[in-house]
Amino acid sequence: MKNPPFNYHRPASVDEALALLTEHGDEAKVLAGGQSLLPIMALRLGRPEHVIDIGAIDELKSISVGGGITIGAMVRHAEAEKSAEVAEQTPLITAALPYVGHRAIRNRGTVVGSIAHADGAAEMPAVCLAIGATMHIASSTQTRQVAAADFFQGFFTTSIEANELLTAVHFPAQSTSAGSTVVEISRRHSDYAMCGLACMIDAPDGTIVSAALSFFGVASAAVRATEAEAALVGKAPNNETFAAAATIVSNTLAPDDDIHATAAYRRHIAGVLTRRGLAEATSQIGIRA
Amino acid sequence: MTDIPDRQTSGLGFVGQRVKRVEDERFLIGEGQFVADLNPKGVLHAAFLRSPFAHATLNSIDVSTAAALPGVARVFTAAELNAVTNSFPPLFMIEGLYTPLYKCMSEDKVRHIGDPVALVLAESRYIAEDALELIEVEYHELQATGTIDQALAPGREQLWDRADGNILGDISADFGDVATIFADADRVITRTFNCPRQTNQPMETRGSVVIVDPATGHLEIHNTSQAPHFLKWAVAGLLVNDGAFRNLSRFARNKDRRKAFSAAAKAFVSTNKQKLLEQDPAGQKSQMKKDMSFLRAQARMAMGLLASNDYPTVKAGDIGGAFGSKGSVSREDIALAAAARQLGTSVQWIEDRVENLLDGGQAREERFTVSLAVDNDGTLKGMKVDAVLDGGAYASFPVSAAVTVLLWKLYMPGPYDFKAFELNAKIVATNKGKVVPYRGPWANETWMRERMLDVVAKELDISAADIRLKNVIREENMPAAFLTGPTLDETMSVAKTLDRALEMVDFDQLEQDKAAAEARGHRLGLGISSYHEAAPGPPNFFSSAQPGSDMFLHEDGRAEIQADGRIVMYTSQSPHGQSHQTTYKQVAADEFGVAMEDIEIVWGDTDRTQFSFLGTGASRGGPLGAGVMRMTARELRNQVVKVAADMLEAAKEDIEIVNGNIHVVGVPTRGTTYADVAAKVASDQAVSTGPVFKEEMKYEGVGNGGWSVATHIAWVDIDLETGQVEIPRYLVVEDCGPIINPGIVDGQVRGGVAQGIGAVFYERHHYDDNANLLSTTYMDYLIPTAMEIPKIEIEHMETLTKGENDARGVGEGGMIGAPAALTNAVSDALGVDVLEQHLPPYRLLELAGIISS
Ligand SMILES: Cc1cc2nc3c(=O)[nH]c(=O)nc-3n(C[C@H](O)[C@H](O)[C@H](O)COP(=O)(O)OP(=O)(O)OC[C@H]3O[C@@H](n4cnc5c(N)ncnc54)[C@H](O)[C@@H]3O)c2cc1C
Repeated sequence: MKNPPFNYHRPASVDEALALLTEHGDEAKVLAGGQSLLPIMALRLGRPEHVIDIGAIDELKSISVGGGITIGAMVRHAEAEKSAEVAEQTPLITAALPYVGHRAIRNRGTVVGSIAHADGAAEMPAVCLAIGATMHIASSTQTRQVAAADFFQGFFTTSIEANELLTAVHFPAQSTSAGSTVVEISRRHSDYAMCGLACMIDAPDGTIVSAALSFFGVASAAVRATEAEAALVGKAPNNETFAAAATIVSNTLAPDDDIHATAAYRRHIAGVLTRRGLAEATSQIGIRA
Repeated sequence: MTDIPDRQTSGLGFVGQRVKRVEDERFLIGEGQFVADLNPKGVLHAAFLRSPFAHATLNSIDVSTAAALPGVARVFTAAELNAVTNSFPPLFMIEGLYTPLYKCMSEDKVRHIGDPVALVLAESRYIAEDALELIEVEYHELQATGTIDQALAPGREQLWDRADGNILGDISADFGDVATIFADADRVITRTFNCPRQTNQPMETRGSVVIVDPATGHLEIHNTSQAPHFLKWAVAGLLVNDGAFRNLSRFARNKDRRKAFSAAAKAFVSTNKQKLLEQDPAGQKSQMKKDMSFLRAQARMAMGLLASNDYPTVKAGDIGGAFGSKGSVSREDIALAAAARQLGTSVQWIEDRVENLLDGGQAREERFTVSLAVDNDGTLKGMKVDAVLDGGAYASFPVSAAVTVLLWKLYMPGPYDFKAFELNAKIVATNKGKVVPYRGPWANETWMRERMLDVVAKELDISAADIRLKNVIREENMPAAFLTGPTLDETMSVAKTLDRALEMVDFDQLEQDKAAAEARGHRLGLGISSYHEAAPGPPNFFSSAQPGSDMFLHEDGRAEIQADGRIVMYTSQSPHGQSHQTTYKQVAADEFGVAMEDIEIVWGDTDRTQFSFLGTGASRGGPLGAGVMRMTARELRNQVVKVAADMLEAAKEDIEIVNGNIHVVGVPTRGTTYADVAAKVASDQAVSTGPVFKEEMKYEGVGNGGWSVATHIAWVDIDLETGQVEIPRYLVVEDCGPIINPGIVDGQVRGGVAQGIGAVFYERHHYDDNANLLSTTYMDYLIPTAMEIPKIEIEHMETLTKGENDARGVGEGGMIGAPAALTNAVSDALGVDVLEQHLPPYRLLELAGIISS
């Protein structure tokens, strides 16, 4: 459990980091909080020749408000978790972060690192899909913005190219008539979820105008339950509506077996979480207004 | 936590008080001395190349590229190390058992994922692991056996040539008139129970640092061993670099050794005459029938011991847990010592967590088909059990899975009044990590029996409490011995703990709570389990399992007072989390009448401590370890008092010692001290250092009795929507006799219960059908954390029969009682028979009929 040798770089600016990425490309990995990358290297499941530590780049360390929230690449989970602005603008993130590992992991791991890592069982990629986050991606030649829906491409895969850095992620502010929450079921406190749901429901006048059901832990990447979402729109946010959505969720998700849970169990609790999540999200409506 | 009364003002002794652990300070501030802290200058770091296949033959191995990597000192192939070491011979033989011999490394065939095939020594563990990747091995994969069913299936590829049908053991025992009892009973109820594999997971992994003295070649081995003396002998016996003939001629020329040997042998034979006569040669015959070569291996080991004057020194310092896994001598220990001797350089191996999960020690994968003969009024009459134990690939040395079977033979009918019992147990070989004793190694007999009692109660429509109350052995009608042989007395007080535990349950409230849970979509259940364990057990306990086997089981004590007055107590225990240092200081300080810090406890160093075959294990540290501490301390104190009485011109009967002040009763102002008395003796003897008072003794405990018992009651609440579990209440009523330190006893009970909770709800060492290990990190082998462990209520009953040394062991019990109490509670909650021990959320919902399996 000792990593293979690598060249370590600690650039002081984004430009410097991008220059290094241009130079080393496929042979390089960005190091943010290291909570996923370092175990992978220690187990020798990954062996980048170059590790580019972005921890010294001050420009990546801020959370900014404007049309929502923009979280820089070196903002730790713990900072975002306790940020009043994040809670105000995007309560779904505040709801999600306590589920991310243990406190010690959140003290080092980063929100953007978690998104770049794109673990299908992780909370933040599902939150990105639910809210419709925008990825700010830079290389030394260009910057581009990618919608969350196009960004996640499957098992630990995103649209970030080898020479690119995810510099920040922008999350639009939650509608004042919406409510949201994260619910999940894990084996132990703080484990990755066997199934989890980031959900949002917008019901301005007692009728659902939009809903997001974004699941994690049930597929190689986070997934939206689009059929169930469509079935919610136009309905009153009540238990009957939620139960109907839950049935659709259980019937449409296609999770796998693993040693912690069977597919049947995951489908079942996805339905349970749909009911619980939607009820809780509904109870949040108006709380921030 | 309650305040610790100040001894000076309270006038109380330390024993019986919740004294804070003296170990804690160094552990909490990072000053513990674990093997990895040693890091001697210039040491080479070891990494083992381990098989990626569960079962394969090795066609070729090429280490040349690895050996050429800068920073690599040497790469040993299995063949090279095997050539300079002996096979692990079976020490432990019983009828029906065959123990295949094996070497420290695997050169022709690998038998489990993680089987070691080469050893790299390099400047750092990093470089060593880099080199592992450069070793080329050509394997030819064989059919692997991953389950008990596969092992028993006809025509399966065999792990061992001579273990036909992959059966290593076929062991039977019966007591009472089984046929008649079964024929006469009102009914016979049968179920099959399964427990999946678990692994002992100590916080500190295994590790060994072998320091070579450049001048003499002497090895000093710092190791995480629970049994340092056994490791020392094993290394001495298994490292033969000169071959049998040279050893023999060296032995022949080594007159002193020969003399010493025959003297020791004579002494041994004369002290153990009776036990030697009891020995049954059937075990040897069983082994011989399969494989005569074990005689040669034993002879070689003996020759290894006799040819050499220089045995290694083994030192065990602080150890971060073991739960039984560090009592055996690891193959890696031998490979490492051999490598150090070959190179003449110090080497170290600090096992990592992945290695530890692969082969650090595994346990409990067992199946039981049990039939109980009962009468309709709930009277238990007979028990018949067919058991299969998944023994993994290599037998752990010296205590193998066979010991579990022997203990089943004694324990299975439990604290109940059965009239007949029959056990047929098989041990099968599978392509998995080695099976080691794990905290209460036999514990699944309690799980299976207590679960079965609930099944029977349900079928007879009586309560789980009543079936136990009706059948438990009570002091009033206690037989002299269990059906299975061991004698018993009032320390077998299960009935008392059962009565008390049931008293602490409000069954009307329980019904209300069950209804309330149901209203929330939950189910609440209550589960009871009771057990007794030999801790250390009566004198005939081990001999009931295997005649003569108690030969090595006395506990030797030694103590000294140095010329400067320091009191030094030596123990042959090897503590690894049980707080021996604290409890032994409590016991000795009370005897000497001094403060705890005035006592030095020495452990783990084979140059300084007295021999013990077992070290720490088998719940002996309290009853025997502390018992011999007390008795040696008392003898030594009396020696001092005699001298002090002369100095004070008083009769020794009139002397008392309070807070280190040795004085005539009532005249504390005219006292003397240990330092003064020691100085006087030193000057009389004209010495200035070294011991001036000495005491040594053999100790066999207090005699009959020695049972430690408990009743556990668990409340389990299951969310029927998600299968998530809460344990709203967990109660343990235990009786381990007079308690030396309640805080430490509570900690031992809680730790054991936590591992039981782990076994039932979290921990499963998951091999697939091809014997690939899936739980290779802590992402997948789930140990419960503080968040998963509820408050555990503990009530102590301190049955005292033999006076002050009547403490009984308590370290294993929590783990023995918990799985049954928890699975019984689940069964009660869901209203179904629970036939398996491991119940993750998905399985609970399957059992509840909510999802399909
Ligand atoms: C015991 C444990 C439990 C955990 N439990 C959870 C959990 O329950 N839920 C959960 O979501 N996570 C969990 N994690 C993971 C944790 O949240 C990580 O912090 C997160 O996955 C990655 O963030 P990081 O900053 O540590 O990234 P790193 O480990 O530094 O990097 C992860 C990957 O992302 C890439 N990367 C990082 N930043 C960028 C960037 N700006 N641009 C491009 N690529 C980038 C890296 O190259 C690497 O491939 C757990 C981790 C541990 C050790």
